[in-house]
Amino acid sequence: MHWLTDPFHAEFMQRAFIAAIIIGVVAPVVGTWVVLRRMANLGDAMSHGTLAGVGIAYAAGVNVLVGAMGAGLIIAVLLLLFSSNRRLGQETVITVLGTAFFALGVVVISRLDTGVELSHFLFGRVLTVQWSDIWLNLGLGTAAVLVVAALFGDLRLATFDHVQAEQVGVRVELVQSVLVLLLAIVVVISLRTVGTVMTITLLVTPPATARLLARNLRQMTMWGVAFGVGEAVVGLMLSYHLSSAPGATIGLVAAAAFAVVFGVTLPRRMPHHHRPLD
Amino acid sequence: MSTPPVLEVSDLGVHYGQRHALHGVSFAIGKGELIAVIGPNGAGKSTMFKAICGLVNHDGVVEVNGVHCHDHTDRMDLAYIPQRNDSDLNFPITVGELVLAGRRRFHRWYARPTSADRAAAAEALDRVRLGGTEHRALTEFSGGQLQRAYVARALAQEASVVLLDEALSGVDQPGTLELIEVFEGLAAQGTTLLVATHDLALARRRFNRCLAVNGTLRADGAPAAVLSAEALDATFGSGGRSALAD
Repeated sequence: MHWLTDPFHAEFMQRAFIAAIIIGVVAPVVGTWVVLRRMANLGDAMSHGTLAGVGIAYAAGVNVLVGAMGAGLIIAVLLLLFSSNRRLGQETVITVLGTAFFALGVVVISRLDTGVELSHFLFGRVLTVQWSDIWLNLGLGTAAVLVVAALFGDLRLATFDHVQAEQVGVRVELVQSVLVLLLAIVVVISLRTVGTVMTITLLVTPPATARLLARNLRQMTMWGVAFGVGEAVVGLMLSYHLSSAPGATIGLVAAAAFAVVFGVTLPRRMPHHHRPLD
Repeated sequence: MSTPPVLEVSDLGVHYGQRHALHGVSFAIGKGELIAVIGPNGAGKSTMFKAICGLVNHDGVVEVNGVHCHDHTDRMDLAYIPQRNDSDLNFPITVGELVLAGRRRFHRWYARPTSADRAAAAEALDRVRLGGTEHRALTEFSGGQLQRAYVARALAQEASVVLLDEALSGVDQPGTLELIEVFEGLAAQGTTLLVATHDLALARRRFNRCLAVNGTLRADGAPAAVLSAEALDATFGSGGRSALAD
């Protein structure tokens, strides 16, 4: 029993658990759409690319979350601009932007003379989360979840069949832009918790696990949140006892949950389960 | 045509850079017509449908129920059902949710479907003989049933013209016949349907008008006339007659 309760005694761990729960809810809510729209590459580029904003903000003495948000928005705008070039696939543009911003972040941070380590941003420092960070994350996270709830029908329609969505009045490009903005918010919230490298884990793995179990989108979102929160809490608890890196431990727990659910649901996905009715 | 046309197309053209995919297409269609759109692969059938629905830039004029269409909002009386492989059938959406999507045109982005919307969706499923399947997943449906579900979505949308691209491809014989019966029933109730198809024999037997397309409108009229040997040669080239024989 002590094994379960010990981690909660210190205040820094309580703050860490609250931060982990917030990202455990918000990342899968947004990540559900990242998975369904096959935008994992964009999520990866966005999470890595925000390192540039983090480094510049740190060098300028500005809140790193503001820098991360700024970098996320700049990446989103550049992506929209460059994606109109039909000679290059969107995946190519995403990768070029993500790696360029990531490289800029590494260069800036490596030249800082403040004792800050690159690994703090890459893998997060959830144990140093402050109450001000938690309030900011709670505000941004609540806004993101409310936007997804309000846009749920249009997101579903624009994702499943963008042609029909346009025909019945959905502004598909606007929906896409909002989703990219939400992605930037998730990256900002994840920064201190799991870091820029592991953000993609909570964004993609819980919804991917949920996808294996769910019959519809509501179920997928609910399962995604359940997995996200569970994996964040269990991962943090394990990292406390194993003295391992919290972000990476959460990532491993998420991957293990995916592997278990994938194995358990394998028979259900066999071809004979998809017989036509007639 | 005694009643005003529900769809009128004048000098419709589409070009991609210097290449003309379609040019000079003009026709008018009345309420409740069941029309086969025929032509070889790459003839511009899909392009024509997309242009009519405003999904690609085009020249010429499209009028729906007498309204000159400028953007999507003017075209909500049209429903376009693309080829089957265009959508992800593993997407976690039920048949009921698919059909309910047609009701979106009547609401703002933040509104939730009402009980009246659900009733309209259920009625649309009944009309295509899929009543009671609201909770089924799309993966549980055969090709013909899927096409009927998409038509139900168009009916829930209250579209007066439904354009179906290759709706009969990959559908087995019983499924095709059931689909055609549904089309005939809907046409009798006043819905206008344009169906792009490669099945010329079916076009001759079960449709009341044919549009032959190959870069432009090659022929327009009763199936017997459009599917004559000369008209087929004009549309398909020298292989036209054998296409009908197949």
